[in-house]
Amino acid sequence: VFLVRWSRYNPYYLEPEVRKDAYGRPESELSAEEKEQQELKAIRPIKAATSGVSSSVFNDPVLSKFINMMMKHGDKVLAREILTQTLEHIKRKQVEKYHKTPEGMKDTIECNPYAIFHQALENCKPVVGLASIQKGGKYYQVPIPLSDNRRRFLAMKWLITECRENKHRRTHMYEKLSQELLAAFVKEGNVVKKKHELHKMAESNRAYAHFRWW
Amino acid sequence: MAAQGGVHFQDKVSRLLSRENGKPVLKPNRTLALRDAVANRKLKKGGPESRCMIENNPSFLNPDSCNEATCITEMSVLMACWKQNNFVDGLCSNEINSFYICVEKAQTAMKNKSEQTSIQGGRLPPKQATTLLKRYPNLSTEI
Repeated sequence: VFLVRWSRYNPYYLEPEVRKDAYGRPESELSAEEKEQQELKAIRPIKAATSGVSSSVFNDPVLSKFINMMMKHGDKVLAREILTQTLEHIKRKQVEKYHKTPEGMKDTIECNPYAIFHQALENCKPVVGLASIQKGGKYYQVPIPLSDNRRRFLAMKWLITECRENKHRRTHMYEKLSQELLAAFVKEGNVVKKKHELHKMAESNRAYAHFRWW
Repeated sequence: MAAQGGVHFQDKVSRLLSRENGKPVLKPNRTLALRDAVANRKLKKGGPESRCMIENNPSFLNPDSCNEATCITEMSVLMACWKQNNFVDGLCSNEINSFYICVEKAQTAMKNKSEQTSIQGGRLPPKQATTLLKRYPNLSTEI
């Protein structure tokens, strides 16, 4: 893998658009801003794409973000390997369950590991977060709305720390991750418990909500 | 233009520095020269410095304007729903969606408002003022 992307770019450079479906849209579908963007792309230089993104159908930005968060010391190969093993393990478990269920119930079992991952991540995302705001010399924990990126980051962070710390020492990371993901898919497990505790804290501190100024 | 203003300005500076009428007003430990940059002020409600609750005067200067927390009603509705349903998220999905919509609206409103105030403020924002001054700096040498 040759590293083509520079680490510092002039702000003049635009981000590359990697997805194929963005180029298949007809002219009429684009709004005025998007037409301007297209015209800019013909003129301005474009940054090189990172080696983590690709234009294939299997490329998922959420999964790439998760792999980057799991990565330690720059070892992306190992992190990606762990994730593929996790997805395979989830698929195996689900197919096992699928074959054990009676005929009528077979539709309810979800076998697609990507769907399970996304649903589990959704179930782990908190709705409100707490911010430490200083008022009158004291610091209060104030409930605030969180942005989408922050919520996704918190969900992934909780998953990874939960798997790294609170499990048995001799299990592989992919096993721990798959257990957590399957538990989060049905809204059980320590991560959704942590999310509920955050919600409870926010709810108990709802009187301080007026300390926000944005 | 600058020459006429310059003479008056030099007179004023010399008056401020003179010791004839008691103590001089200025005690210059640095050279009295205008910088090619503007101070980076942003004192809108931003924490413990601005006193919003104490002096709540409706004035038109930006540093004194108080912003209140947005989406509090939505949040309180959401929390009441949580309290009722023991924090199960599936039963509160309507409230959650309305909360997210409210947050989106509040964010776009804030962005538009800040854009408007920065354009109509009558002054340039400090970053743009600094870039402008750097492009046309003070002449420090004669050549």
